[in-house]
Amino acid sequence: MGNEPIENAVLVIPCSGIGKVHGLMSREATYLVTDELAPGQTDTLCLALLVKGDSEAVATVRSHACITIDGCAKACAEKNVAMAGGRVSKAVQVAEAFKNHRGAKPGNATALTDDGWIITREIADSVAHEAFRLRNCEEVAR
Amino acid sequence: MSTEVTKVGIIACSGEAIPEGTISRLATLRVLALLRPNNTVTLCLPLFLAGNEAERKFAKTHPTITVDGCDKQCAKWGTEEHSGPVSSALVVTGILGTKAAGCHRSSRDASQPDKESVWAVAERIAAEVDTVLLETGPRDDVATESSGAQCSCSSPAPGGKLTIQGETVSIPGLALIFEQCTERNIPAEASGSAALLDAVKIYHRVLPEEEAGYRSALLAAYQTFRSGSRPTK
Repeated sequence: MGNEPIENAVLVIPCSGIGKVHGLMSREATYLVTDELAPGQTDTLCLALLVKGDSEAVATVRSHACITIDGCAKACAEKNVAMAGGRVSKAVQVAEAFKNHRGAKPGNATALTDDGWIITREIADSVAHEAFRLRNCEEVAR
Repeated sequence: MSTEVTKVGIIACSGEAIPEGTISRLATLRVLALLRPNNTVTLCLPLFLAGNEAERKFAKTHPTITVDGCDKQCAKWGTEEHSGPVSSALVVTGILGTKAAGCHRSSRDASQPDKESVWAVAERIAAEVDTVLLETGPRDDVATESSGAQCSCSSPAPGGKLTIQGETVSIPGLALIFEQCTERNIPAEASGSAALLDAVKIYHRVLPEEEAGYRSALLAAYQTFRSGSRPTK
């Protein structure tokens, strides 16, 4: 899968968080959605392409419903999609998912523990559910 | 008297849509935690747009190396557009060639080729860090705080201690190096000591006259590691 999105897909865009486990969780949740839970109905693209201002990436986020998954409160994914003129239908923050898992040890920036995968899968389930809702209830591509 | 140490900034594209983006991210983390922990810092690329002024000045306050997954070079472009000129620009596909073709985006699918690709790119980044440091000032193994933005959690891997000719030395990430040697099937016997030393020399400076001492100390520590114990912390 590259940077040419599936037609009418809901775009799931994680942050590029590199230093903390939360960034890894945002990526892995995205891959669970696009590769396992809702393949063919969801897709992702490189956030860096939006930072670059790539015309195809900008056009893509403007023409598809987007769900962003951010690792931290700086919300780089949500902000960059919005700055590119995209429609953020749902903005997820990984930290929010920890509220029901106090004391969990999710791993580090390079590898998730079992705790980490459990929380990541919960995020992915929530995002996949929202993607299905978006596809069923409204026009995804404009 | 404290010595100001030049910190090289490494910006990975982290391209989420392609395996090479995952490699750029993991290789950068490997350099920060293990290969050049005292001389490198990083920043999430999208912070140039979403972050504050200090984050946007990152490349003005650090000599910066960008690590891009593909030839679109988003990290290089984004850094130079929003922060400042980079010292060096690496591209994963340029380093690995066709070897990246069998790699994966998710760690769930990661296999030996993924690991070896990360190792190869990390070693290339580390070499580039050394080159940049040579061009910008003296390298010093003693870290000092630097101003400006960086990921607060990118702390070095814990070191392992060895006694070389009566002197105790600390090697960053020695247990991780031994894990890598184990995966590369380097034997825990005399025939493996040269390969052990080569692996450690990637991460730790060893003078030619010290090599014999390091070889025997490393072999003993590696044998202990393989028997189930860990290097002294």
